[in-house]
Formats: sequence, structure tokens, C-alpha cells
Amino acid sequence: MSAYKELINKINKNEFYKRWLKDAWPYITGAVLLSLFQIVTLATTKNPWGVTGAFANWGAWIYEALGGSVDKWYYFSSDGAQATLQAGFLKDPGSIRNIGIIIGALLATLLASQFKIKKIKSKKQIFAAILGGLLMGYGARIAYGCNIGALFSGISSLSLSGWIFAIGMFGGAIVGGKLLVKYFM
Amino acid sequence: MNEVVLDCMGEACPVPLIKAQNKLKELALGDLLIVQIDHSCAMKNVPEWARKEGYNVEVEEVDDGEWEVIIEKTK
Repeated sequence: MSAYKELINKINKNEFYKRWLKDAWPYITGAVLLSLFQIVTLATTKNPWGVTGAFANWGAWIYEALGGSVDKWYYFSSDGAQATLQAGFLKDPGSIRNIGIIIGALLATLLASQFKIKKIKSKKQIFAAILGGLLMGYGARIAYGCNIGALFSGISSLSLSGWIFAIGMFGGAIVGGKLLVKYFM
Repeated sequence: MNEVVLDCMGEACPVPLIKAQNKLKELALGDLLIVQIDHSCAMKNVPEWARKEGYNVEVEEVDDGEWEVIIEKTK
């Protein structure tokens, strides 16, 4: 056996490697860490954690790069939204954080050696992914947040809107689950 | 004793779990169900469900990001 293979074998058998990098962490660990980093996020950026708001900015920047203008759009009409768009991608904490989430997730899969490019199994999957993405994006902007910005950050700011969002999401998940079983089984 | 392979590669949660639940109903006592998955959350929820039901469960990592959940229908 080569030295490289021996080393890999040794790492795979290491108890700390298994516990910290290979196996999934318990839900409670995730919950505690998410709460702690929510506090850090609020303290450093002055805003609670959100994900989809940054995507709307990305859309605006792409649209502007193609020669469009969103100045007259109601969604971007506030001074705050205009300032964020003016300042650009590198000065938007939400955008940088989203890039961090993607890179962090990639790193975690690579360290666990679980990276795999998955095959698309059917045309139905493509259709469902596009339709689902559009509905989620549209819904998240109409509701001023997704399950992070509206639900998690809403509830942790003691806002009633977070709980109302939770009720709506629960009902939506039931309907979505039924549709999934009907069309994807 | 039969061995039934259920191909759930490329399927996202909760599809592998529901497929495994439906398939297991069709099997006879003592049969083995081998669920092939490449979605890491199915690696958590499929064995969790099967263990809660009281079946014997083993998870094998067959390749990078690919697993086989082997469920023995013990009851």
C-alpha cells in the first residue's frame, strides 16, 4: 500500500475526523450555532440574517449591467435599497455571506469526501426545479423574506410576522408534500 | 430471502424516504431492501425511520457521496 493510501486510511479511522468532519452534526449543535451566528450577524451588520434579499440585488445588478434601470421600481425605491445598489456587491454583507455559504458548504462536502456531481434523472426534475425556484424567489420577495429572513430572523426578533409566516409555510408544506407524492412517486 | 435494490440516485429528499417506505410494504418478512442514495439528508432520514420502525439497518458508503442503506424487514 502506498504512503498516500495509508495516510487516507489513517484519517478515515480517526475518531475526531469522523465526529467533526465526516458525520452529520446533531440538529441541536446546528441550532445552537445558528443562534450564535445570528447574534454575531446582527451585531456586525446591524441587520438580522437574510438570504434571498441579496439575490434580488444580484438580479438588479445583472439587469443594470445589461443596460436596464431599476430606479423607478417600487421594490428598490427606498434610500436604503438605492444606497446598497450604489455601493455594489463587495459592500453588501448579504451578498458576501451568500458566497460564504456556498463556499462553506462546498468545503464541508470536500472535507467529508462526499462531493459528487449528481445526474439529472428526468425532465420532470428540471421542470420542478425551475418552477420551484421561481415560486420561492417570487414568494420570498412578496413576503419580504424566506425561511431565514422572515421566519428565523422574524421569530428571533420577537416579531409576530415570523409566526404568521410559520403558519403559512406549514400549510404550504402540507400542500407541497401532497403534490410531491402525486407527481414524483 | 430476497434482495431488492431501490435506485434513488439523483433523487432529493423526501423522495428516497417515501419510495423506501412504499417498497418495504411490498416485501416479505426477512427480505432485504437496498436503497441506493446520493443525497446526504436521505442518509440521515432513511436509516432514522427504519430504526424507529424496529428494522435492522446498515449504512454503507459505496463511493464519494454515494451510500447504500440496507434494511432488513424483520417484522
